[in-house]
Amino acid sequence: MADSALAEHPPDTATAFADLVHRHRSMVFSIALHFLADRSAAEELAQDVFLQLHAHLPTLKSEDHVTFWLRKVTAHRCIDYKRRRTVPQVSLEEVAEPFAPAPAGDPIFERKLRHVIASLPGKARMIVILRYQEDLGPEDIAQVLSMPVATVKSHLQRSLALLREKVLRSIGEVTI
Amino acid sequence: MTVPNTHHDMNQIEEQLKNALCRQDAPPDFTEQVLARVAEHNSSPQIRCDPWWSIFTRPRVRWAAITATAASIVIGGIYHNNVRRERAKGEAAKQQLMLALRIAGSKLQLAKAKVNELNATQTTSPSRSEQE
Repeated sequence: MADSALAEHPPDTATAFADLVHRHRSMVFSIALHFLADRSAAEELAQDVFLQLHAHLPTLKSEDHVTFWLRKVTAHRCIDYKRRRTVPQVSLEEVAEPFAPAPAGDPIFERKLRHVIASLPGKARMIVILRYQEDLGPEDIAQVLSMPVATVKSHLQRSLALLREKVLRSIGEVTI
Repeated sequence: MTVPNTHHDMNQIEEQLKNALCRQDAPPDFTEQVLARVAEHNSSPQIRCDPWWSIFTRPRVRWAAITATAASIVIGGIYHNNVRRERAKGEAAKQQLMLALRIAGSKLQLAKAKVNELNATQTTSPSRSEQE
């Protein structure tokens, strides 16, 4: 995405903002959906993020800055949302996904994997999402989540080992 | 269902994670909903939660505050000066009163001594006449 996109489209117009939302909605919504595992909550949270973006647009200088800001705000909002709601909720992810297109690969296995990811602790889950959904390196994740790179790396290693173990165990239970 | 075996490599897990966590489309009316909320937010009266001291950013309020502060300093100074002067007057009056009391006291002592002396002479003179 060109850095000059904001300059080409003045962000104070409704059309330019609509264009920004259109370009980034998939990223914001997916981060929220993978983290919260709840479509309606993810949609509401993503809308809140864009509402906040509208208020902060004058402070954002480039398209890269917008992307970074959106990832940062979405990540922090997701973690805060989950922290506030400790009561377990019935997730639509577990019931049905009528709208979501099936990802490439084995959909059942990937669904199981998403379920296991949803069981990770908040920050570790967000690190995994930013790493594998957004393809960010540990340095970028550290910047987004405002934490040391070493912490991100250790979280990633531990999460991967845990995921592997949990996936293998759950598959073992299914096959038995 | 492609089940990874026990020698499943980390790279394979990572590949599966990328597939499982691929971006998903937001609902089709997502942008419209966001724009509607923005419009609603802009049209609704804004409840400002500025800190109380932010009123001093207005020039008139700032000048009024400066004038009020200066006036209160001047009035306070005058009042303090008056109080100090009154207190000094009171001290002087007290000193005068004390001096007057001291003088009156010494005069009384003198009068008392005279009376005693007179009494003493009166009591001694009749006894002498009785002897004669």
